[in-house]
Amino acid sequence: MRTVVPVFVALSIAAGIAAAQDTSALDLREKLEEVKGSVEGINEVLAEMKPALDALRKIKVSGYIQAQFQSGEGAGGWNGAATSGPASIGGFAGGSLPKDVASRFSVRRGRLKVAYDNDLTQYVLQIDVTQGGVGIKDAYVMVREPWMRTLSLTAGVFDRPFGFEISHSSSARETPERSRMFQTLFPGERDLGMKLEVNALEGFFSYVNLKAGLFNGTGPTANENDNAKDFIGRAGFTIPFQEINLSVDGGVSLYSGSVRSNSPIVYRKATDRDSSGANVGKYFDRQYLGADLQLFYDLPVSFLGGLSIRAEVIQGTQPATQTTNAFYSPGTTVTPLYEREFLGYYVAYIQNIGLSNQFMLKYDVFEPNANASSANVGAPGSFMNLGDIKFTTFGLGWIHHWDANVKFVAYYEMISNDKVFAGTTSNSLKPYVEDIHDNVFTFRVQYKF
Amino acid sequence: MKKILLLLVAAISAFGFYRQATTITVKGSDTMVILAQRWAEAYMAKQPEVTVQVTGGGSGTGISALINGTTDICNASRPMKQSEKTSLKLRYSTLGVEIKVAKDGLAVYVNESNPVKELSVQQIKDIYTMKTTNWKQVGGPDAKIILYGRENNSGTYVYFKDNVLNGEDYAPTMQSLPGTAAVVNAVSKDKFGIGYGGAAYGKGIREVMVKKDADSPAFGPTEANVKSGDYPISRFLYMYVRNRPSGAMKEYIDWILSPEGQALVSKVGYFPVR
Repeated sequence: MRTVVPVFVALSIAAGIAAAQDTSALDLREKLEEVKGSVEGINEVLAEMKPALDALRKIKVSGYIQAQFQSGEGAGGWNGAATSGPASIGGFAGGSLPKDVASRFSVRRGRLKVAYDNDLTQYVLQIDVTQGGVGIKDAYVMVREPWMRTLSLTAGVFDRPFGFEISHSSSARETPERSRMFQTLFPGERDLGMKLEVNALEGFFSYVNLKAGLFNGTGPTANENDNAKDFIGRAGFTIPFQEINLSVDGGVSLYSGSVRSNSPIVYRKATDRDSSGANVGKYFDRQYLGADLQLFYDLPVSFLGGLSIRAEVIQGTQPATQTTNAFYSPGTTVTPLYEREFLGYYVAYIQNIGLSNQFMLKYDVFEPNANASSANVGAPGSFMNLGDIKFTTFGLGWIHHWDANVKFVAYYEMISNDKVFAGTTSNSLKPYVEDIHDNVFTFRVQYKF
Repeated sequence: MKKILLLLVAAISAFGFYRQATTITVKGSDTMVILAQRWAEAYMAKQPEVTVQVTGGGSGTGISALINGTTDICNASRPMKQSEKTSLKLRYSTLGVEIKVAKDGLAVYVNESNPVKELSVQQIKDIYTMKTTNWKQVGGPDAKIILYGRENNSGTYVYFKDNVLNGEDYAPTMQSLPGTAAVVNAVSKDKFGIGYGGAAYGKGIREVMVKKDADSPAFGPTEANVKSGDYPISRFLYMYVRNRPSGAMKEYIDWILSPEGQALVSKVGYFPVR
């Protein structure tokens, strides 16, 4: 009896445990089925959402805002010793300062770019929102052929394929603004047209880049005003020397176009005035030839980093007006046409200092009329005017990349103009008998995403 | 004016120099994430004063992080594209440094119950571009082929597209999954599924033997076949850094390329380069 009782008790406990185990195993199985059902349900929902998510993934939204403070050496409308004839201050540093204003806060650029990237085709729309209003920067379609994936067609409003600095994005560029020659010759950088681009992904041809197109020649926002289309093209190369971490890039560019004069009066060089009636409706050459070179080298000094030396030169013929060397645009007002042979160039040095800092120097020259000395501007018998004055800009600055999105830029540009004829009687030229006080300091904060 | 300028430059410079790199961050390829973690664990055990932080996200994500300065090292299962090299060059004035750290045979998986044992590269291409849609067309059962693949930020996705599909688009019916482990998991549960990914992940499913063309012998993604070049879908795995490596980063990379680091490559299932 003594042995039967413990055995009975033990059997009872074992039976109880077994029953409990059965119950918990059953519960576990039920719970597992429940979880499995939930996971399958989630998978079904995800499968339904996937086509929509895949489509959304093709939409790429990016943008940047550049907020800045600028201080001019002189106030806007500076006229120096002259009694009248105000000069522009900051005109090539983001826009002229208002009259009698020497400093300002502004939003230089407020970009929002939306692209629908379907791999071989692309839609791109970019707007610019600043205190000055809203404007369209890019609106184009890109189609790439599917066989070699090397040739593409772009149509709409987009960067003119000339030189290096135009296509170097304002958000990535180290200096706050492009060189004076680019701002003068290619205002707004963009134009309406179509271009073909050859850009191989691999092999020998991945080291060369060819782009060429036809454009209205009127800039990004104006409508076409003549029947001539302008050709713009660039043949570029990149030669990497991977072992020494050096790259030599460059290219040659050509702009071959024309503008239609709406005036019988055409000025050439300094003293040649042609007032033939046949000049009305006649086309005048707009021809630029450019060359650019960029050198990138990773310095073998651990606390520094890569350096870049960039140089670019453009020479050509520009049909423009008396007061500016920006290209001539025939409008409703009859405007005499000034045909000038110009020369512009810049050299820039950018030194990375560690991961987050960059130091830069830039020397930029624009000589709108290479055939005459600025000292003759305003001289008796000379037709040369504001559009003929040579400018030299020396800039130095520092960039600090705060994080992946934010960077701070401090940049000081010292601008010198060639002095015009001291005895000029032109009110608009009088300030330029000396070096106008147009140095500009810019402090900019940029957020990019 | 000059005082303001000097003060600003000094202030900005001060911001720039306060950060000191005491940690090595590694970001990129999901294919390489397990290998990178093993390297990091072993190296930190050996060099406790160095912290190596590893995250995945895909080769494209890693390269973007290298360009925008949020990682020190990028892991990539594909070479950098020309456009990515240009972005790096314009920001840092450097071409970057490419280091081949391992070799991988890109495996093609089918469910264990699938009788298809081998496929040619052309057959795989036809399957992923929907020219072949039924297993019967390649010697399997009469059933629709279900495609699994990687998301487009993955280096594996890009490599497979460039080298197997010859640049053609994937079939729109392909289910894109975040990571090779997810592809393996999906194929293991789908009798008629097919997927691709790193050989290191190829457990629990069957890797098909691959032929260069219809007349060639088929090879599996083994170390010998990948090293000899007989296995037709193999690739290097890369590390990229912005500048010539120096200091702690150089020591870490040197260690990865040392026999000790390369031994871990084999343990994880890839193939050493040294």
